[in-house]
Amino acid sequence: MVNRKSLTSSLSLSGRELTLACVCLLALVVFSLSSPYFATVDNLTTVMRNSVELLLIGLGMTLLLAMGGVDVSVGVVMGLAAIGVGQLLNTPLDPALTALAGPLIGILAGLITACVVVLGKIPSIVGTLGLYGVYRTAVFALLGGQWLSGLPATLTRQLETRLLGLPVTVWVIVLAYFMVWLALRRTPFGPHLLAVGHSPDKARLSGIAVTRVRFITFIISGALCGLAATFYVATYRNVEMTIGSTLALEAIAAVVLGGTSIMGGHCSLLGTVLGVFLLRILQNGLLLMGVPSLWQTVVTGALLLLVLIAEVATGRLKYAPWMMRLKRRQSS
Amino acid sequence: MKALNKASTLRWCQRNLVLTILAALWIVLILVVVIAQPSIFSGATLGSILQFATLLALVSLGQALVVLCGGAGIDLSVGGNVSLSAIVGVTSVQAGLPPALLPVVCLLCGALLGALNGILVARLRIYPLIVTLGTFYLYSGLALCLTDGAAQSGVPAWALPWGRGMLGDVPLPFLTLVLPAFVIVAILLSFTSWGRWIYAMGFNEHAARLVGIPVDRMRIVLYSLCGLLAGAASFVSLSWLGSGRPDAGVNLELESLTAALLGGIAIFGGKGGVSGVFAAVLLLVALKTSMLQFGINSVWQVGVVGLLLIAVLLADRLSSRVSQINGAR
Repeated sequence: MVNRKSLTSSLSLSGRELTLACVCLLALVVFSLSSPYFATVDNLTTVMRNSVELLLIGLGMTLLLAMGGVDVSVGVVMGLAAIGVGQLLNTPLDPALTALAGPLIGILAGLITACVVVLGKIPSIVGTLGLYGVYRTAVFALLGGQWLSGLPATLTRQLETRLLGLPVTVWVIVLAYFMVWLALRRTPFGPHLLAVGHSPDKARLSGIAVTRVRFITFIISGALCGLAATFYVATYRNVEMTIGSTLALEAIAAVVLGGTSIMGGHCSLLGTVLGVFLLRILQNGLLLMGVPSLWQTVVTGALLLLVLIAEVATGRLKYAPWMMRLKRRQSS
Repeated sequence: MKALNKASTLRWCQRNLVLTILAALWIVLILVVVIAQPSIFSGATLGSILQFATLLALVSLGQALVVLCGGAGIDLSVGGNVSLSAIVGVTSVQAGLPPALLPVVCLLCGALLGALNGILVARLRIYPLIVTLGTFYLYSGLALCLTDGAAQSGVPAWALPWGRGMLGDVPLPFLTLVLPAFVIVAILLSFTSWGRWIYAMGFNEHAARLVGIPVDRMRIVLYSLCGLLAGAASFVSLSWLGSGRPDAGVNLELESLTAALLGGIAIFGGKGGVSGVFAAVLLLVALKTSMLQFGINSVWQVGVVGLLLIAVLLADRLSSRVSQINGAR
């Protein structure tokens, strides 16, 4: 019984990635047929470039959801780090060093989030919602009511230098993906994280340092948000007031699309990458078909809900373990 | 005898740390205002506080009900619901619907949007946090798309007193909507079997199911009720502002959640009452108003609300641990 269950779940996982890849291809074909501007090298490069931040944040979000947590403040954390990187760019510091400022600020923010959510033992979505308010105010206060714009292009040029035929950006992303994959699949941290996501109580009973695993996960996510900020500043060379306001939704949608369970316990990094690409291809394609960009949020939200409903329909989300988990917490 | 009283008071404070914090915040706020700027105390200020509190009070009441019924219940989509209901109301009047039906459309739209949340949560059993996060972006995004971000005029003149009218220093919507809503819900919670059911399913859902409480149906009803209250709030915003704004509900999810939890509703459900929520709503609005009076930029408001939310969650956590220890002893 257990064997069959795990077999089907592992099959459906690989099936999920295959399905997503097919849907991506289908979307590519449909949009190329419907708009002559879609299948150009320029446009596809734009799609790829727009995916960079979401890709990095999505990797962190995959870990968070797999651990049974979530962070709705990722977009604003990226904003904070972007302000830091932007301010440093205006100083005569070496741009390579400023690039490091992003992840550093991100790690700091992740540390704060972890302290509040993990040590305070409060539900992560409500805790990060509170932090979202705090960080949003910090972004407003730091920007002082105006955009940070006209930043020098030094960092941009540095990230566009080619190494073995590919821009540095690509190498950094491949490296980030590989590191997360390594941590998840080739170190004890990975199984520990999944065990915590599956059932914190059982994980604790089997001797896993639950608090430490949660802490590390939030810090990794923060670092990835900060790294995303570096690329954001390099690409757009300005920081606006409402930076990252829909990133949390997009990241969650992409991760859920990729087959990671919102209940925690299992995740798919490749699925997340494909989910991010599908989301960005859809947004770009719809834009080229003449749908106003305001609709992007609606499409993303609807897509998230549809995927969730589909998961229920196929039985993957049938028995809500959160009810069990809460029950136990209250009766204890 | 006296010592016993003192000890029991202390224990009550430990168990209800959040309500103690609420009372302390009220005292501190009033003291600060009295010392620094006593001129704020006036009927007009009270009126404007109540006016600003109307929207938040209606939405927080719904939020409190949803959190109270447990099962990780939460509604992050209330802000989007308010915006979308307002827009749907105004555009349907623009499209030729009889203006007299405006409140009906607002309420109906709000209730339907809430019911959608309820069905997704209770029937399909999806995590409420993720569902309502999705519907939040869906609703607020739709409100923006349907209007291209512009405010929509077309609110009939007869509706304006519902938002702007004053009876003495007390705004009319506060008297006609907020007070009745709070009284009805308070009676519902204290004196009807529905109220018992809500507390029971919030306290221990499994036990509630075993004694035959229709938990799923109740949950859908409560989410719809939350939506209905958001619809009422959208009507107030329409008649107050005189136009339908797609950003009518911005930040309401954060503020209503803070108000509900600051009012003593336990985040895991099954504990808390309506009067605390009422006091918390007034505190939040009074705090924001006095911050404005002191000349603090309004961008700090959302940060202060966020900080309060975190503080209240920590206090809730602490007091539940204290009561556990006391219970064990």
